[in-house]
Amino acid sequence: MNEVTSFLQLVVTAMVPFILAAQGTMIAGRAGVFNVAQEGLMMLGASVGFLVSLTFGGNLVGLVVAGLGGGLFGWFLGWVTTRFRLDQFVIGLALFFAAAGLASLLYKVVIGVTLKPPLIPTLDDLSIPGLSAIPLVGPVLFQQSAMVYFAFLVSGGLYWLLYKTNHGLKLRSVGENPKAADSLGVNVARTRIWCSAAGGALMALAGAYLPMTYTGTYTEGMVAGRGWLAIALAFFGGWRPQYILAGSAFFAGMEVLALRVQVGGLDVPHQFISMLPYVATLLVMMFALRWARIPAFLGRNYDRESRTSH
Amino acid sequence: MTTTTAPVQTPPRTETRGGRGHALARQVVSYVVAVLMAFVVAGIIIAVLGHNPFDAYRAIVTTSFKSGFGFVETVHKWVPLVLLALAFTIPLAAGKYNIGGEGQLLVGATASAAAGILLADLPVYVLLPLVLVCGVLAGAVFAWVAAWLMDRFGINEILSTVLLNFVSFGIVDYVASEVWSDPAAGHPTTIPIGEGGLLPLVGRPPMHLGVLLAVLVAAATVVVMRRSVPGFELRAVGANSRAAQVHGIRVGRVAVGSLVVGGALAGLAGAIEVAGVHGKLIEGMQSNYLLLGIIIGLIARGNALAVPFVAFGIAVLEVGSSAMQRSAGVPSEMVLIVEALILLFLLFSDVVGARLRRSSR
Amino acid sequence: MTENSSPGTRPLLHMDGIRKTFGPVVALDGVDLTVGRNEVHGLLGGNGAGKTTLMNVLYGLYRADEGTVTLDGREVVVREPRDAISHGIGMVHQNFLQVDTYTVTENIVLGTEQPSWPSMDLKGQAERIAELSTRFGLSVDPLATVADLSVGLRQRVEILKALYRGAKVLVLDEPTTNLTPQEVDSLFGSLRAIVDEGMSVVFITHKIRETMAVCDTLTVMRDGRRVGTVARRGTTPTELAGLMVGDDAMVSRVTEVVTAGMAAPVGRALKADAYAAGNIAPERVVVSGLVAHNDHGVPAVDLSLAVRGGEIVGIAGVAGNGQVELAEALAGVRATAAGSVSLDGRDLAGSPTATWLDSGVAYVPEDRHRDGILPSESIVENLVLGAQRGRRFRSGPFVDWRRARQHAETSIRAFSIKTPSASTPAAQLSGGNIQRIILARAFSHEPGFLILHNPTRGLDIPSTQFVYDRTRDAATSGTAVLLVSEDLDELTNLCDRILVVYSGRIVGERRRGEYDQYELGHLMAGLEESA
Repeated sequence: MNEVTSFLQLVVTAMVPFILAAQGTMIAGRAGVFNVAQEGLMMLGASVGFLVSLTFGGNLVGLVVAGLGGGLFGWFLGWVTTRFRLDQFVIGLALFFAAAGLASLLYKVVIGVTLKPPLIPTLDDLSIPGLSAIPLVGPVLFQQSAMVYFAFLVSGGLYWLLYKTNHGLKLRSVGENPKAADSLGVNVARTRIWCSAAGGALMALAGAYLPMTYTGTYTEGMVAGRGWLAIALAFFGGWRPQYILAGSAFFAGMEVLALRVQVGGLDVPHQFISMLPYVATLLVMMFALRWARIPAFLGRNYDRESRTSH
Repeated sequence: MTTTTAPVQTPPRTETRGGRGHALARQVVSYVVAVLMAFVVAGIIIAVLGHNPFDAYRAIVTTSFKSGFGFVETVHKWVPLVLLALAFTIPLAAGKYNIGGEGQLLVGATASAAAGILLADLPVYVLLPLVLVCGVLAGAVFAWVAAWLMDRFGINEILSTVLLNFVSFGIVDYVASEVWSDPAAGHPTTIPIGEGGLLPLVGRPPMHLGVLLAVLVAAATVVVMRRSVPGFELRAVGANSRAAQVHGIRVGRVAVGSLVVGGALAGLAGAIEVAGVHGKLIEGMQSNYLLLGIIIGLIARGNALAVPFVAFGIAVLEVGSSAMQRSAGVPSEMVLIVEALILLFLLFSDVVGARLRRSSR
Repeated sequence: MTENSSPGTRPLLHMDGIRKTFGPVVALDGVDLTVGRNEVHGLLGGNGAGKTTLMNVLYGLYRADEGTVTLDGREVVVREPRDAISHGIGMVHQNFLQVDTYTVTENIVLGTEQPSWPSMDLKGQAERIAELSTRFGLSVDPLATVADLSVGLRQRVEILKALYRGAKVLVLDEPTTNLTPQEVDSLFGSLRAIVDEGMSVVFITHKIRETMAVCDTLTVMRDGRRVGTVARRGTTPTELAGLMVGDDAMVSRVTEVVTAGMAAPVGRALKADAYAAGNIAPERVVVSGLVAHNDHGVPAVDLSLAVRGGEIVGIAGVAGNGQVELAEALAGVRATAAGSVSLDGRDLAGSPTATWLDSGVAYVPEDRHRDGILPSESIVENLVLGAQRGRRFRSGPFVDWRRARQHAETSIRAFSIKTPSASTPAAQLSGGNIQRIILARAFSHEPGFLILHNPTRGLDIPSTQFVYDRTRDAATSGTAVLLVSEDLDELTNLCDRILVVYSGRIVGERRRGEYDQYELGHLMAGLEESA
């Protein structure tokens, strides 16, 4: 019994970066902005979150600053593609490289090369009284760090925003038919820019979470492709927050499983285990796209005075 | 999500008073201006960091030409850069983004090393071609996996090529640590390949003949893309895949083909790195070639003719970066910032240029 | 030029001196427009005359370079659609601006203020919409998803959008494009109801017949200028045609375009007698049991037909009844699920598109920009498209660019393509010239089977006439021509035979001499043939 509980607990903990990065991808994507810089923004978030926490002695500050930094990158993507109509993928790739480069540059400048890498305190578990006593489910869901609850709340909040509010109606219309939205007075540019900024912020938070969990250190390769997997998760969840939340369990599950198998000493070379999440993701994507409803204008820029857009 | 228009375009060939010559001159000017502005901005950053920008720039630009050694190093660096840039540029012409260059390079390198080690005793005129061909084929097949997923299941190729990169890291790690591992090395590396698998060297200091191969491949790419029927179909698909399809072009095949060719070139880069530079498979040999290859492709605006020249410029900057760190104390990452700034200024110059054209009429 | 405004009543809308340029192109050259109260004001002109541009300025989608807009005596500034809406201006565009996945209610309320706490509830709004729709004769189910609705119903949603926002001026851009004659009558009835309730309507069209049927006052535009304003009672179709075209010599040449749908077709001699003489040419195209699916895998076409050499056969129908799928299937662009398509005895079904093209099938698609050209490429490349593997432009594995360029220069002259040079990117050309490129491409290979889908949509008058002339030329030289069009006037003018399509099946056939637009409309609506 305990084995299962601790496994599930680990899975929920591991779900957070996937949830945040994928929801960030989703919210920008529903407005039509396809941000492909997640990996770089997560690296930047991890680096900035770590360094700020280290400097100011508190995780919250690190998270906030990281979020703002990611928001800035997201804002830039939205602004440049809306104002100048440059290709979203090209700008996204450029931002990925820039953010990744900045992440290592900042670490090098602040920390330099040391034999003993510094540590920051990891996030404490926040037990919800009463609920956490429920057998099996209790400790899994209600004895987690604040960021876990945050991730769940964000998902719920996005669902409410998109489907239960007027803002959400307008937001979704921008991603489905921007010309229709524009003709009815919806501010397409502003919607795209804000959603892209919010998306960037969530992506950076996903990254900042990493050094604050598990070990409390920052290492160069710690994001390990989760940013790219978040793109897959956005598709897998049909670009809807509730299914992204559910689907993140699969990705987190694979990650934890891979770790367990390595430690458990199965007679498979560890390199193949480490490949597992990526291969499994590709396999899953083969079927996922059949039901994914992609926003019609995802990745496409909108030009009001264009002669060709109907 | 596939756009029906080309994602990266050479600025439209607008007809102005000067005609084509005028337009060409304007393009060259925009490159020169972008480079100058990038150097200026980076120079300011360097100065702010407390170093001398002129020393830094002198180190970067002259290292490649100061000595024969510097030149050969530059040219050796140019090979994987131009090949990876083309590996990105060719699919880009069809509107597809190949971000898997490093995975394809590594898989090509692995196959080459495997051939070179398993058949180490074969003579050079058999083993060398075999080593190169294995690299090319392996890279092509690895890219084909992503292409097939894209064509058959609609999986975004950015995603699949990147995920396969991670898979390739595992493969290289396994081969270099377990299969043909060299126990003496402190870092996952294979034992050396047979002598017959090594590219011949010419000149003093020695330059490997992979350089000649890369030149031929680059030239062939230009000819094929501009003048051949498949090259036309490739560009048509990138310009408007739907119209291309309506007019009989098999868009799926063209897209897949472009990725496979890209993978083949990246695989060739891997093979040359094994056969010409290292003589073995080393973990991490892909360096930052993927990133630089993409930057080169974007700076060259998808123009196959410009790619080799831009790649050479980037090679010069890269070789100079370590010299810059030594002599001027500027961290070598600055070079990456310079390169990114060039790209940024070029992208903006397109926008500015379009605005100026519109208002001057 | 006669002005018509009853003295003493202040006009509802006055646009003064509107000037709009797109780069070097002057789209509007100081245009005035005055719309009175309670009137249906027709804005008449050929495509490219500037009618839609003027209304887009009014609605805030474009910003004018100069000029003022006065609404109800007060000058208003419209910079965005939001401003236009707040001033009571509503616009129904040619291509409906709706989010396919939303319901009718969601589409209508999009962009308005709705209470969202704790969550948004649109039940009250749905009721309000239902009430509006009955009041103006525009019934539609508020809870239906828009993608499931027919074209006619979707248009009602567009009109309701404006009425819901309390529009004072309602602008309709070519609203009858996709309607059956019966639906057109219903629309005109709704417009009168709207005007009776105190609003004014601006009705943009290029069809003289429509303006004579429903408008009180007409303003004619040509080449970005207002060339006349008349009361309906005080004018004739001929006078209007003259104003639309301008050059008297041209009027007789483009007569059929301009007087489309008038009592008797003018110009081309009838071929009824040729038919009576008994089917002169053999059948070149035989379509048997053709079944084609739409993008959702649902069968959209199930029919058989034949076209003789030199014959122009028309496919009439309301948009959405399988025309797209039919045209694409016959062009070899869309896979066929069953049946055969033979050209000159050779069955092409199942072959790749390139084989169809090589066999002599030429296709002029409905969506020029999306399906017809490579926008960033030059005219030379655009003319090579589709022919790059053929013998004309190929030498070995290479493209003979010299020959291609010569061909382009020749085509530019032969098809009167207005362009700075053969190297100009296609995207920079006007719609009419793009269509000429597409026609040049289609005709350069002497097609055996020519398929045209809405070929004159959005084209100016001279270009429209050009298309009609070239189509007839093709027929004269023996090509089998299939014209799929939602414009009954075009069909009755050009075709020797018209097949009416409904839900992908042929429900009726008429020969030249038997054409009755109301009867055709009846069939187009899926109603049974009356005995």
